[in-house]
Amino acid sequence: MTTPLILILVAALAFLATHVAYEWLAKRLLIVSGAEYLVLGVLLGPQVTGVLTPSAIEAFQPIVILGIGWMGITSAMPLRLQRLVRVSATHYRLAVVEALTTLGLVTLGAMSALHVAFEVDYATALAPALCLGAVAVASTPTGLDVAYGDQRRRAPVLQQIEVANVMDAFVSVFAFGIMIALMHVSAPVTMRALTTTEWVVITLGIGVVGGTLFHLFLGDEQSPDRLFISLGGAVILTAGAAAYLNLSPSLAAFVMGVILVNSLRHPGAVADVLRSGERPLYYVLLLIAGASWAPASNVVWWLVIIHYVVLRTLAKLWGTGIVTWINGATSQVGLDWGRALIGQGRLTIALALDYSRRGLPYGEVIFTCAAVSVLFTEFFAARFVRSAAAPLLAPLETLSATTESVVDTVTETVTQVIPGFLRPESGSDAGAGARSGSKASTSRRDNKDTSRRGGH
Amino acid sequence: MRRLVILLILYVVMGGIFVLGGADAGAPTLMLFGFLILGAYSVGELVKPFGIPKIVGYLVAGVLFGPPGLSYVSKPVLAELNPVSNLAIALIAFLAGAELQMEEIKARGAAILKMMSVELVLSFVSVSAVMLVLREQLPFLASAPLPEAVAFSMLFAAVAVVHSPAVTMALLSETGASGPVARYTLGVVLVMDVAVVLIFSLVLAAARSMVPPAGDSTGVQLGAVVWEIGGSVIVGAVLGVGIAAYLRFISRELFIFGLLVALLGAEVARILHVETLLTLLVAGFVAENAGGGRGAELRHALERAAAPIFVVFFALSGAKIDPRTVLPLWMIVIPLVLVRMGGIWAGMQLGGRWARLDPLIPQRAWLGLVSQAGVAIGLATVVADVYPIRGGQLRDLLLATIAINETIGPILFRLGLKRAGELDVTQPSGGAERSAV
Repeated sequence: MTTPLILILVAALAFLATHVAYEWLAKRLLIVSGAEYLVLGVLLGPQVTGVLTPSAIEAFQPIVILGIGWMGITSAMPLRLQRLVRVSATHYRLAVVEALTTLGLVTLGAMSALHVAFEVDYATALAPALCLGAVAVASTPTGLDVAYGDQRRRAPVLQQIEVANVMDAFVSVFAFGIMIALMHVSAPVTMRALTTTEWVVITLGIGVVGGTLFHLFLGDEQSPDRLFISLGGAVILTAGAAAYLNLSPSLAAFVMGVILVNSLRHPGAVADVLRSGERPLYYVLLLIAGASWAPASNVVWWLVIIHYVVLRTLAKLWGTGIVTWINGATSQVGLDWGRALIGQGRLTIALALDYSRRGLPYGEVIFTCAAVSVLFTEFFAARFVRSAAAPLLAPLETLSATTESVVDTVTETVTQVIPGFLRPESGSDAGAGARSGSKASTSRRDNKDTSRRGGH
Repeated sequence: MRRLVILLILYVVMGGIFVLGGADAGAPTLMLFGFLILGAYSVGELVKPFGIPKIVGYLVAGVLFGPPGLSYVSKPVLAELNPVSNLAIALIAFLAGAELQMEEIKARGAAILKMMSVELVLSFVSVSAVMLVLREQLPFLASAPLPEAVAFSMLFAAVAVVHSPAVTMALLSETGASGPVARYTLGVVLVMDVAVVLIFSLVLAAARSMVPPAGDSTGVQLGAVVWEIGGSVIVGAVLGVGIAAYLRFISRELFIFGLLVALLGAEVARILHVETLLTLLVAGFVAENAGGGRGAELRHALERAAAPIFVVFFALSGAKIDPRTVLPLWMIVIPLVLVRMGGIWAGMQLGGRWARLDPLIPQRAWLGLVSQAGVAIGLATVVADVYPIRGGQLRDLLLATIAINETIGPILFRLGLKRAGELDVTQPSGGAERSAV
C-alpha cells in the first residue's frame, strides 16, 4: 500500500472512531479525546513504523500551515466587543495578570533551564524561552465546553475561566507572533533589511487585509456555502501569505478573526463555519506533529521538559490564586480557578508545531514540551474545570433548586385559585393547562434540559 | 464595483507580498491557492451579471493570473496544485454518479444511449474527415503518407469527441437546472465518459499498428482496457457499498467523510490502474441508490466541500490555456471547432428522432455537449507521450480547440438551459450557490 493511501485510511478510521467515541467519552467520563492522534502520529512517523516518511510529512506542510492559521482565527472568535464589554473588568484583570504571570515565569524558567542544560548565554536563550513562555500561556477552552457546555455560563467562576481562556489565547498568539518576527531572518528588501517592528506590522497588516477582504467579499452573507468559500479562501490566503514571509500564520489569522467577529453584524454563521473545520484540522495537526516528533533520549532534554510542566502548572495554580487574593475576588471566583487552565490543546500544538517546522533553535525541545503537556493534560481538561468550578457552583445549584421549588409552589397555588391560569402551549392539547403546577414545572425543566443538550 | 475593488486589493497585496518575500521566502503554494479561490471567485461574480456562467469567469481568472498573464501562478505552482485538480475530478465524478437515480436510468437510459452513440459516430467521422482535408495546413501532417494522416486524424477525433462532466456538473449546480434537457445532457456526458475510455484505447491501438512510435514494442493490451473499465465498475461498486453502509448506519460528519471518500477513491483507482472518473461515478451511483435515502445529504455535504476546490480547479484549467498557442492556429482550429459542433448537433437530432424524443430536447441538449476540459487535456497528453514529436504538435492543436470549447461551452450550455426554461429563476441571487460554481 502507498503512503497516501495508508494515511487516508488511518485518518479516516481514526477520525470516525474518535468522533464516535468523542462525545461518548466526553459525556460519560468527562474526557477530552484528541491527544491520542499525537500517539498515532508518533507510531506512523519515521521514529517508529516509518509509514509516514519525512518527504510525506513535508508534503503536508500546506495543510499544517492552514491548520495553524485556522487555530489562530478560531481563537479570536470570542473577542466580539459587544460581548466583551458586558463582562466585569475584574475578570479581565485577573485573566491578563494570570497570562502575563505564566508568560514571565515560564520564560524565566526556560531561559535558566536552557542556559544550564545547553550551556548557552542568556541572550541566546531569550527568544526560544519566550516562545516556550507563549506556548505555555495557551489553555484549551474544550475543557469548559465539555464540562459545562452552554450551562451556567453566567456563574462568575465559569465566566472567569472563559475570559481566561480567551486572554490566554490573545497573549499567547501575540507573544509568539512578535517572537517569530524578532527571529525573522532579515534579508534586505529593496533598500534595507526590515526591522522587527516592521515585520510585526506586516503580520498584523496581513490579518487586517484578510479580514477586510472577507468583509468586502461577503459582508453579512448568511449562506453557509458562500461563507465557506470566501472564509476558506481568506484564511488560506492570510495563513499562506504569513507563512510565505516566514511570519506567524496564527497571529495574522487571529487579527483577521478579530476584525471579522467585530465587523460582521451576525458573526454566528462565520463561527459555525470555522467550528466545522476546527476539529478535523486539529486532528491533522496532531497526526503530523506526532509523526514529525523526534525526541532525544538526552536526560538534559527531559529536565527542561519537566521544568516546563512544573513551572507552568505552578504559574497557573498559584499565580491565579495570588492574583485573585490580591484583587479581593476570592468570594466570586475562588482561589482554585487556575486549575481549569491547566489543560492545553489545539493552540499549544499549533504554536509549537509552527516553531519547530521553522528549524529555529531548540525547536524539538519546545515542541516536546508542548506535546508532553497536551498529552498529559488535554484528556483531563474537563475534569480540571469541574474540580475548579464545582465547589463554587454547588451553592448556586442549591439556590437555583430552592428558587425553582418556590416558583412551583406559587404556580400551583395560583393554578388552584384561578383555574386556567396556565395557558395551554401551542400545539399541545387543551387539557394541558389543567395539569398541576408541578407537572408544568417538570415540563419546563425537561425543555430546558433538551435545549441544553441541543446547545451542547 | 465591489468585485473590482476586491480584485484591485488582491492585485496590490499580492504584488507587495512578492516584493517583501525576496529570496528567502517560503513556498507560495498555499497563499496562491487562497488567492485563486478569492480572485477566481471574484471574476466569476464579475461576469455573472452579463449572463456569462461563472465557470468562464474562473477560467478567465486562470488565464489572467496564470503563466500567460500576470504569472502570479507560475508553472511550478501549477504542478504543485495538481492534487487539487485530481481531488476536484474525483469529487465531480462522485457527484455526477450520485445524480443518477435508478428510476431515471430505467426511464431515460435507452434514449441517452441512442443519442450518445449517433452523436459519437457523427462527431468522430466528421472531425476525422476535416483533419484529413486540412492536413496540408498542418506542418506535422503536410508531408505524411495517407495512413499516417489517417492515424493522427483519428487520434485527434478520439479526443475531440470527449465532453466535460466537470463543466456539466458545475453549471447544473450553478443554475439549479434539473429539467429534461439538463438530465439528458448529463446522461449523455456521463455515458460518453465511459465510452471514451474504450474508443480512445481502440483508436490508440489502431494508430500504433499503423504508425509504430519510435522504440515502441508493445501494443495496447486488450486485457488492460477491459480491466480499466471492468475494474472501475467493480472497485466503484465496492466503494459505493461501503459508503451506502456508512450512510445507513452512521451518517455523521458527511463533510469530512465525503472528502475522505473522494481522496480514497482517487488513490485506490491510481493504485489499481482503473479509471478514476468511472470508479467514483459508479461509487456515487451505488451510494445514492443504496444509501437508504440519505444520498442527498451526502451530495449536499460534498457540494459544499467541493465548492472552493471547483473554483480553483477551473482557475487552474484556465491557467493552463495559453492564448499564444491558440492564436497562430486559428485558421485550422475554428473549422475544427465548428465541424465538431455540427457533428454534435446532427448526432443529437438524429439520435433524438431515433429515441422518439420531443424534438425540442435534442435541439437544446446539444448545446450542453460542446464543453471540454480535464479529461480531454489528459488524453491529449497521452497522445504526446506516445508520439513525442508529432504527438506534441497534435497536442498543441488539441489544446487550442479545447481552450475554445472550454470557454464557449458553458455559455452555450447556459443558453440551452435558458431556452428550455430550465434555469432556476425562482432562486434568490446567490441561492443557487450550492457548490459555488
